[in-house]
Formats: sequence, C-alpha cells, structure tokens
Amino acid sequence: MSKYLDLSIVEINKLLKEKKIKPLDLVLEAFDRIEERKDLNAFITLDKERAIMKAKELEDKEVDNLFFGIPIAVKDNIVTKDLRTTCASHILDNFIPIYDATVVEKINDCHMIIVGKTNMDEFAMGSTSQTSYFGAPHNPWDVQKVAGGSSGGSAACISARLVPLALGSDTGGSIRQPSSYCGIVGMKPTYGRVSRYGLVAFGSSLDQIGPMTRNVYENALLLNVLVGRDDRDLTSSHKEKEDFTRLIGEDIKGMRIAVPNFFVKEDIVSSEVLNKLHEVIELLEKNGATVEYVDIDYIENAVTLYQIIAMGEASSNLARFDGVRYGYSVEDPKGIDELYALTRGNGFGDEVKRRIMVGSYLLSGENAKIYYNKALQIREAIRESFLKVFEKYDLIIGPNATTTAYNLGEGLDDPLKTFLDDILVIPVNMAGLPGMNVPMGFGEGHLPIGLQIIGNRFDEALMYKLASFVEKELDLELNPLEVR
Amino acid sequence: MSDRLTKQEVLHVARLARINVTEEEIEKYQVQLKQLLDDVDKIKEVKLTNEDRLIAPVEEKTVCREDEQGEMLDPEEIMKNVPSSNGNFVEVPVMINE
Repeated sequence: MSKYLDLSIVEINKLLKEKKIKPLDLVLEAFDRIEERKDLNAFITLDKERAIMKAKELEDKEVDNLFFGIPIAVKDNIVTKDLRTTCASHILDNFIPIYDATVVEKINDCHMIIVGKTNMDEFAMGSTSQTSYFGAPHNPWDVQKVAGGSSGGSAACISARLVPLALGSDTGGSIRQPSSYCGIVGMKPTYGRVSRYGLVAFGSSLDQIGPMTRNVYENALLLNVLVGRDDRDLTSSHKEKEDFTRLIGEDIKGMRIAVPNFFVKEDIVSSEVLNKLHEVIELLEKNGATVEYVDIDYIENAVTLYQIIAMGEASSNLARFDGVRYGYSVEDPKGIDELYALTRGNGFGDEVKRRIMVGSYLLSGENAKIYYNKALQIREAIRESFLKVFEKYDLIIGPNATTTAYNLGEGLDDPLKTFLDDILVIPVNMAGLPGMNVPMGFGEGHLPIGLQIIGNRFDEALMYKLASFVEKELDLELNPLEVR
Repeated sequence: MSDRLTKQEVLHVARLARINVTEEEIEKYQVQLKQLLDDVDKIKEVKLTNEDRLIAPVEEKTVCREDEQGEMLDPEEIMKNVPSSNGNFVEVPVMINE
C-alpha cells in the first residue's frame, strides 16, 4: 500500500503539482486504509464510487490550492447532497439530503474529496459515540476504549490516519473531548465563525462546526476555508476572512495565561491528567509566559445550564422528525397522533428520547420561567465572568477531559455520566467562545491526554500560536501505529 | 422525596414530547428522568446579582434580508424523501373525523 497519506498536506500538494501522484492515488489509499481498519467503525456511510469519479475528474484540472484532491471525512450530522445523512439515528437511516451544507460547498469548492460520513452519537447527544444506532466507533489507541463523542468517528479516523482531514461539530465539547481521547487536534471555533447551514440542529445557540486534523498547522489551514458570513445562517458573523496560520511559530514570551481553579480540582480531574497539565504550565513559564490561577464565577453551574439549554433547544429542534416529510415513518398509523408518537418512539434511541422528554418538560408552562429563563440569566453571568478574565489574560488553558478514554460499554445506563464527562468543555459553548484540543501527553495504557486552549471571541489565531508551541516543544508521536 | 416519577408523570412528559413509550420504557424512565430532573433542579439554588439574559452568544445585530425570492429547492427532489405522497402532496392520516 502507498503511504502518501502519512505526508503533510503541503508535501502531498507538492507531489500533486509535480504530477508525481494523482488525486486518485490518494483516494484509493484512503479507502484501502478504511477497509483495513473496519474494526474501528469510524464511518456510517462511505461514498467510494463518487469519490473515485471526482478524483478522476480532477486529473484535468489545475492544482489551485493546498486542499486540492485531499480526502476528507464529514460528520454524519452535516448534510451532503445525494449522500445519506443519518445523524447516527434510525429515524434518518434512509435520508438522502437534497442540498449541501455551506461547509460542504466550501470543501467542494477547494476540490477536497469526501470519502464518507463519520460515526457519532445519535443526533450528537452523548460523550462516547455509543448512542449511535450503528454501534460505537473504537479508539485507535486501544480498541477496547471509547473514541469519545459526539464526533467520535471523525476523531478515530484522523487518529488512525485513515484520512488527514475531518469535520466535526461541538455543542458541549463534541469536537474537543473526542480529540482529547484520540490524540488529535480539534477546534471549536467562536460561535458564528462557521455557518451552521446544513448542520442538523441540536442546540442552535451552542452548535458550531469545526476542523479535526493530525496537527495544528493543518487545522488552522482548514479553518481558513470553513469560515465566513453566510446569509443562510443569520447567526454567522460578518468578520473579515483572516489567515489563522499567521501567528504559528511565533515566540510565546510575555503571553498571559489563566488557569481556572475549577479546571484543576482534584475531585474532578484525575491525577495523571493534572500532572500533564502542570508539566505544560511549567514549560510555558520557562519560555516566558505568565500563568496564573483564576476564579470564573458560575462556571461550576455550566453543566446544569447545558442540560436545560441543550435539552430545551433539542426538544424544539427535533420536533421536525415526525414521520411526515422525511425519514423513518411508522406504517399504517391510526391517526396523526399515533403517526407522531410511534414514529418518534421507534425512531429515536434512548438518550435522544430522554433528552427530548426532559427538554419538553423544562419548556412547558411555568417551567420555562423557573428553568430556562434562569439558565439564560446564569449563562449571561458566565459570559461576563469569562470576559473579565480576558481583560487581563490572553488565553485560558486546562484539560479537555477529566480522564483518558474509558472502556466501551461503561456508563450507558447512567443518564448523568454523559454530562459529567463534558464538565470541562461545556463552559466554552455557554459563552460562545472558541476552544480547542492539542495533545499534551499520554496516561496509563498509553492513552492520549489533551490540553484545552480557550480564547476570547474570534481569537483563534492566538490559540493556534500557543497550540503550535506546545505541539513543537512536546514533539509527541501521535500516530498509534508507530507506537504499537 | 421519592426516587422515581410516577407512571402518570412519565406518560405526561412522553405526551408533551409526542413520543410513544412502552411499559418497559416507562419503568426505566421513572428512574432516569427523575435523576435528570433532580439534577437540573440545582439551578434553583443559584444566586444571581443580575437579571440580564443571554439567549445566544451573538454580538452582531441580526437584520432582515431583502424580501426577494431566493434559491428554491426543487419540489420533485423534496418529494423523494417523503414517506407517503400523492403527486406533489404529502399524505398524512385523517386528522379530523366528519
């Protein structure tokens, strides 16, 4: 088997330009790799025939950008025209979208080649991808462990080097936490940076699409492509395009970094994760950054807010799955009520049903005031607390996950575990801030541990600067095949 | 306080959510939904100094688009995903009798 996909995007681009390889070589290699690691269950749907066809079409075209001909995987909650999009749910397992998401248009415009749709938690609800109707993806570092979630398939396929690029989505940590478990780089951009048009809505005020890659530089490059105002998503920002790689490689001397006390609590975060964080803090201080511990008011309430806001918004967003216009529909219902209730009862999995039911309850009648309204007030208070920190500091750091990846099968019947797994990543979504994962070491069983970097709104370039510094200094071997 | 919802309470939230639940599920949700609802109840204890709300973290003002016809999806394409149709009509069970 050829090994072109182990090269950097820049090196691949050079080979393509010099006509030493063709896009078809890359696509065939990607499908060979995917076939070889079928055990990871990283994909729900593959698009081999069309990918090969597109690769052949590109042979007559000029190699006009860095991503030309590069295979990419897309999370299965981002709609792709004429390619099945299931959200890992039975209710959408026959759904063929009739349009492309904005981000899919953008990757097609750069002539990237979509190889398939990645596995995930059903409707992105979960922290391990085990709620998928199609079975859980496995962690390439140890196939007995979860890949994390909800973008677990995207994280697993980057980690196992099946493709160099993937898209994920992050409502309460769903890019950062699986990136941490699988030892890859994942960015959840500022809310509004990337258009959500064509992302199947879960918690609309929290959802954001972002890049998942093998390294920091390629992550920044891919974000360059994804951003921009889109009139089809009115929450997308008018911010000018910028080059997110521009600060990579710069000195971190004088950088002011905050660590929330909540992120280093010994009763929340495991000691091996804390030890790695302290090593990174030492490294940053040695290189001229100041690191100080801070309190962020109300951050300890973020999980509760997330439960109320995300379940509330989900209950409303998922009302559209009613068996009438698309997706699974129960046969021969007696009346419209039965059509709705049976379609949804049979079509949704357990986690999704729990969240819709609780969400509907929290928004019904007086409860909307008691729960939802109060949650929005605390949400504003958290946002203000974060902004206060950013008056004095450039970036915030901490872990992304409280532990390394745990065993498959754990926590499935505990409705609270999935939320507690995300205790360190949820606050960022509440405030609409950008957050990312960069690997910072390994714990017991050689399982990856990730560093979370949080920036002020629209400060992704600065985050990439710190992330690339950590990446370069630690110089970790992040390909599980090389370690084994 | 009981550690489970009553069967009636589960049926009430299932009805709000338009989700059919089986007897077996009711049993399970009596405990699981109660766990979730107890957990979100923590919000009642949070003290606030300010009443401002954040509905979505968007700082730009949203504006209405021009009232012009934009791109449209092709009806024939749309109908391909419809579970039950008759020509360009979506079929649903009878909603009103007589």
